Amino acid sequence: MPTGPVMVAGGAGTLALAAVVVGGAFVYDMGVVRVSVQSKKPDGEHIRLIVPAVAAPIAMQFAPKRELQKAIEEAGPYLPAIKIALEELAKCPDGPFVQVTNRHEKVNIAKQGDALVIDVDDEGETVHVSVPLKAVDVVISQLQSLPPPGREERAERPSSPDGPAL
Amino acid sequence: MRRILLGLAMAVSVSTAALAADRWVHIKVEDGGVNGEVVRVNVPLSLAEKVLPAINTKELHGGKVKCNDTKIEEVDLRAILDAVRAAPDNEFVTVESKHNHVRVAKSAGNLLVKVQESKKSEKVKHGTVDVSIPFSVIDALLSGAKDELDVLAAVRALGTIGDTVLVTVNDENSKVRIWVDSRNTTE
Repeated sequence: MPTGPVMVAGGAGTLALAAVVVGGAFVYDMGVVRVSVQSKKPDGEHIRLIVPAVAAPIAMQFAPKRELQKAIEEAGPYLPAIKIALEELAKCPDGPFVQVTNRHEKVNIAKQGDALVIDVDDEGETVHVSVPLKAVDVVISQLQSLPPPGREERAERPSSPDGPAL
Repeated sequence: MRRILLGLAMAVSVSTAALAADRWVHIKVEDGGVNGEVVRVNVPLSLAEKVLPAINTKELHGGKVKCNDTKIEEVDLRAILDAVRAAPDNEFVTVESKHNHVRVAKSAGNLLVKVQESKKSEKVKHGTVDVSIPFSVIDALLSGAKDELDVLAAVRALGTIGDTVLVTVNDENSKVRIWVDSRNTTE
């Protein structure tokens, strides 16, 4: 029967494995963001981007605070509505929500499985974006948890030795 | 056997409830201009019902729109509506002018408004507008205070009516159609 250091190493290994399994399950559960941009020019590029959706909230940590504050200022009043809309969208059957077609382009916004899918097909390129609803929900929650505009600026401003100016 | 029947009964009741809940409002706009643009929007009523109360802007609050227009306050819409509802199916208002023919009527529990452009004008040529709104929806819309429209209640009422075409606009430049049914696509 293993004793001492062997047992500790075994325990640490099990913990690490559990962390990897739990982390993997979380990443899998959040899904992936897919972006595809295909140029229609003869030598046009095809850019494909597949990013685990879990990266979106992490990337927000590195986003400039001022830009995030600006986003909250503009979208703040609508964030609760967007959050509720996402919950309801998850319950909706797959299908198109908005379709715009004209001589120059086709735009389609639809729900496919657990993702919101945006397709744009114009004269220059074809764009496909697929974002898991859960990822958008997490991003919205993060935006909601940020302090409202103005409060943070006041908190960051060094206080005057004479006390706050009235 | 009893279990199977019970399971079947449960499945039927659950699917019926789901069908009743899945009502969609559709908007289709066809622009007959150079671009030939077609816009289709499909919104589940359940989504609108949940989202509306969460939107709080200057005009829209808790699913109700505040009408600060004094002209609206001066007209007792509810009294007019009660009078129209109590009356038998009929044509109530007909306005015929050089350019338009407007008809307001009541038919099978719906308030109908029909506008026909009878002569060419600069912007709209031979256009028609047909509006058909069930009284239950109008009642719900006017169920709030005198100076407000309860959009949320109207959306809820829309969910209880059958497949209905609410608005149709046809003119040489565009076609607009707004309707409610249980499908999640326009076609």
